[in-house]
Amino acid sequence: MPDGSPVKSRANLNRRKVLTGLSATIVAPRLARAFALTDATGRAVAIPDKVEHIFPAGPPASLLIYTFAPDLLLGWTRNPEPLQCALLGSGACDKPEVGRLTGRGNTTNLEVLIKLKPDLILDVGTINDTFISLAKRVQDETGIPYVLFDGRFDAAAQLYRQLGQLTQRQAQAEEFARYSDNTIKTVKGRIDQIPDARRPTVYYARGPRGLETGLGGSINVETIELLGAHNVAGDQRGGMATMSMEQVLAWNPDVIVTIEPAFAASVHTDPVWTPVKAVQTNRVHLSPRLPFGWVDFPPSVNRLIGLWWLAKVLYPAQFPEDLRPLALDFYKRFYHLTPTDAQMDSVLAGSP
Amino acid sequence: MSRSTFPGLLVAFAILVAGLLLAFMVGRYPVSLGDLFSVVVAKLSGRASGVPAAAQNVILLVRGPRVLAAAMVGAALSVAGTAFQGLFRNPLVSPDLLGASSGAALGAVIGIFFSLGVLEIQALAFIGGLVAVGAVYLIGSSMSPRDPILVLVLTGVVIGALLGAGVGLMKYIADQYNQLPAMTFWLLGSLAATNVTDLVPLFGPVAAGTLVLFALRWRMNAMSLPEEEARALGVPTGLLRIAIVTAATLVTSASVATAGIIGWVGLVVPHIARTLVGPDFARLIPASALLGGGFLLVIDTLARTVTATEIPLGILTAVVGTPFFIWLLASVSKTWA
Amino acid sequence: MILSGHGLTIGYSDHVVGRDLDVALNTGEVLALLGPNGGGKTTLLKTLLGLLAPRGGEVRLGDRRLSDYSNRERAHLLAYVPQFHAVTFAFTVETVVLMGRTAHGNLFSRPGIADRDIAGRMLDRFGITHLKDRPYTMISGGERQLVLLARALAQEPQFVVLDEPTASLDFGNQGKVMREIRALGAAGHGVLFTTHDPNHAMRAADRAYLLRGGQRIAEGATGEVLNRTQLETLYQAPVELISDAAAGRTAFLPG
Repeated sequence: MPDGSPVKSRANLNRRKVLTGLSATIVAPRLARAFALTDATGRAVAIPDKVEHIFPAGPPASLLIYTFAPDLLLGWTRNPEPLQCALLGSGACDKPEVGRLTGRGNTTNLEVLIKLKPDLILDVGTINDTFISLAKRVQDETGIPYVLFDGRFDAAAQLYRQLGQLTQRQAQAEEFARYSDNTIKTVKGRIDQIPDARRPTVYYARGPRGLETGLGGSINVETIELLGAHNVAGDQRGGMATMSMEQVLAWNPDVIVTIEPAFAASVHTDPVWTPVKAVQTNRVHLSPRLPFGWVDFPPSVNRLIGLWWLAKVLYPAQFPEDLRPLALDFYKRFYHLTPTDAQMDSVLAGSP
Repeated sequence: MSRSTFPGLLVAFAILVAGLLLAFMVGRYPVSLGDLFSVVVAKLSGRASGVPAAAQNVILLVRGPRVLAAAMVGAALSVAGTAFQGLFRNPLVSPDLLGASSGAALGAVIGIFFSLGVLEIQALAFIGGLVAVGAVYLIGSSMSPRDPILVLVLTGVVIGALLGAGVGLMKYIADQYNQLPAMTFWLLGSLAATNVTDLVPLFGPVAAGTLVLFALRWRMNAMSLPEEEARALGVPTGLLRIAIVTAATLVTSASVATAGIIGWVGLVVPHIARTLVGPDFARLIPASALLGGGFLLVIDTLARTVTATEIPLGILTAVVGTPFFIWLLASVSKTWA
Repeated sequence: MILSGHGLTIGYSDHVVGRDLDVALNTGEVLALLGPNGGGKTTLLKTLLGLLAPRGGEVRLGDRRLSDYSNRERAHLLAYVPQFHAVTFAFTVETVVLMGRTAHGNLFSRPGIADRDIAGRMLDRFGITHLKDRPYTMISGGERQLVLLARALAQEPQFVVLDEPTASLDFGNQGKVMREIRALGAAGHGVLFTTHDPNHAMRAADRAYLLRGGQRIAEGATGEVLNRTQLETLYQAPVELISDAAAGRTAFLPG
C-alpha cells in the first residue's frame, strides 16, 4: 500500500495478538484446561488439571494432606520428631522441612518455595483479613495458586471433599469425609441426649503447673466445647490465658483434661491440687499425644480420634466402647501405619 | 535516725502492712477474715483451726506463699534498684541495667525450649542472670578504664541486647503451639504458680543479697560520688562495686527466676521512697524495701483478682507505674534528685 | 610529715603528661601549683593524692610509699577537695560533711555520736551550721565550696589538697576561701592547691610550683618565684605587675 499506516497498524495488531496468545500458552501450560475453585476467602482460584505436589502453608494443612495422600505432600512445616516418625507410615519422615508461610512469623523463603515447584499452596486455618491478604500476596508474587480452607473442626468432612475436588481424587476423599462425618455425628448425637445439668465442668490444664488454659471459644478447647462440656474458663472469650490457683480451686472442676505428663503425674500428690473435685474423683486425664496430639494442637484432623477419647472421659456412661480398636483403625487410615500393641499401649498411656 | 525521716519510714511501713492485709484478705477464692485469723493462730499454736480444709489449703498453700513471694520480690527489686541508682550515679537506672533480667530470660526460654521441668527452668533462669552479669563485669573490668562505671553500663547495654536477641531467636524457632505460648507467658511475669517449694530457692538469694545491701547502706552515699572523690574519702570502690553488683544480681536473678520479668518496680519505687525519706541511702534502702514489698503486693493482688484470668505482672507494673511516675516527676517541688 | 613525689612521670594509659618531676609538701605549709591548662597541674595533683598511679617514680607519704597505703589509711592522712561538679543526689549539707568520716569507720559502720560531733564542729568552723539541713544543690557556689572543705577537714587529715578551689566562685567568696586555706596552713595542715590566679598564690601560699607542658619551670618561696619574668615564661603571655607602694603589696594582671 502506498500510504501504509492504517494497514500496517492492523497487521501489527494482529501480529501482537498472535504473539501474546502463543506466549501465554507457552508460559503457563499448566493452566491449560484448569478449573476455578472458590475457596474460603471467596476468591476464584485457578487450579491446574494435574495436582501432584502441594505445599502446605502451615501445620494443619500439612497434616490434612498427609492423612489424605502422603504422596501429595511436598514437605512438613516442621519435621516430625523420631518418636512421631515411629507411628507415621508411607515415608512420612523422608520428606523435607519447608517452613511455614502463615501463623506467627514466616520461616519459608519464597525463592525456595518457587524452586520446589508446587502445583498449589494449601492453607487450612482461620479465615480473616490477615490471612486473606497473605494468600493474595503470595499468589501474586509466586504465580502459584494459593487456596485457603476453613479449619474449623466440625468442617472436617468438607475439608476432605474440597481436597478431593482439588486433586481429582473425589472417591478417596469421600471415604475420609464419611469417616469424619460419622465420628462427629455419632459422638455428638449421643451427647445431645444428655441434659445440660448432667454435663460436667471441665478445666483444660496446660503449662508446667497446669495454670494455663483455653478461654471460651479458643481453638485450644474447640473439641472440648464441641462436646458440650462446660469449660470453667469459658465465660471469658479469647485465646489462652493464665489462671490463678485460687481461681481454679474456686471453680472446682469435675474433670481435668491435660496434655502435660509432668503435671498429670504430680497432681495427685500436690497438696494444692488434691482438694479439687476432679482429683478427688480420679478424673484427671492425660491426653495421648503421638504421633500428633489428640486434643488442642495441631488444630487439625488429628483431633478426630481425640473426640472419642474426650467423649469417654467426659461421659463415660454413654461411651462404653473400647477405645483401642477405634484408635487402631484411625491410625491405619489416617497415619498409614498400624501400631503394634506395645506402641498403642504407650500412646494410650499418654507418654511423651 | 533524725527525727525528720522517721515519719517517712513509718509511712513506708504502713504501706507494707496495708499491702499484706489487702493481699491476704482479697482473692478469687472466698476466705473470710475470721478464717484467716483462725488458721494463722492454729498454725502458730499447733492446734486445729476448725476452718474447712479447702479454705485452709488456700490460705497456707496458695495465697500465703504467693503473698510472701510478692513481698519478697517487691522488696528485693526495689532495694537492688536503689543500690544501682547509687552505684551508677543515675536515678533513672533499674536493676536490669547489667543484663540480669535478659540473662535470666534467656536461661528460662532455653529451658522451655527443651521442655524441662519447672525447677530446671527456674534454675536455668537464675544461673542465666548470674552468668550474664558476670560476663558483663569481666568484660567491663578487663578494659581498665578511667571511668569503670560508664564502661560497665555500656557493656551491660550491649550484652543485654545480645541476650535479648537470643531470646528472640529462641521464640522464632520454638514450636508455635506449645513452646512459644509457654515462653510468652513466662516472659510477661507472673506469681500465679507460686507454691511453698518455690519460697526456699527464692528466700536464700534474696535474703543474702538484701542483707548485704542493707549492711552497705552507710557507704552508698559516698559510692554515689565520682570515682576519684569516693576513693579519696577512703571508700574501697572496687570492692564495694563487686559487692553491690553481686548482691543486686543475686536478688534480681532469683526474683526473675521465680516471677518472670517484672519491670518498673526497681525503677519507680526508689523514687517514691526518696520523696518520703530523702536521698540519704541509709534511710532510702530500708524505705525502698518496705515500699517495694507493699507496692508489688498491691499489684499482685490486682493481677489475681480484677478478672478471672491473671493479668501479667509486667504489664500491670507498667500500666500503674508509668502514669504514677509522670505524676511524680511533675508534682515534686523539692528536687531530691 | 612530708608528702613528696620523686622523679615522677605522670600521665594516663594513653599519654604521658609530665616527666621526672620532684615535689614536696610539709605539714604546716601551703604550696600553690600554677600553670596553664593542659600543663599537668591536675594530673600531678591526682598522682600525689594516689588517685592516679604514676607511670614512673614514686610518691611517698611520711616514711612509706603512697601505694602501700590502703584507700582507708590514706584517707586518714590525705583529704581531697575537688572542683565543683554536677551532683546526682541532693544530700543535705550535714550528710555531705558526714561522708568525710567514712574512713574512720569500717565497711558497715554507721556514723556515731563522735562522728556527728566532728561534722558539727567543721560546719561551725566555716560558719555554715545554719545550712546543715539544706539540700547541697540549693546553696550557693561559695557555700558549696565551704561544705567540701568541711568534709575534707572532717577526715581529720594531715594534708588537704584542693583542685582549683576558687574556680566558679564569685569575687567575694574567692577571698573567703583563700583566707581559709591560709588558716589551714597556720593550723598545721599541709595544703596543696592549684590555681589560675597568681594573686591567690601570693596571698595564701608559702611556696609556689610552676608547671608548664609537664615540666617544672620554677619552685620556691612565693615571694621569690612569683615575679613577672617567671609568670610570663609560664603562661607565654604578657603579664603586668601593679604595686601599691604605700601598702607594700603587689598584684599581677594579664597583660
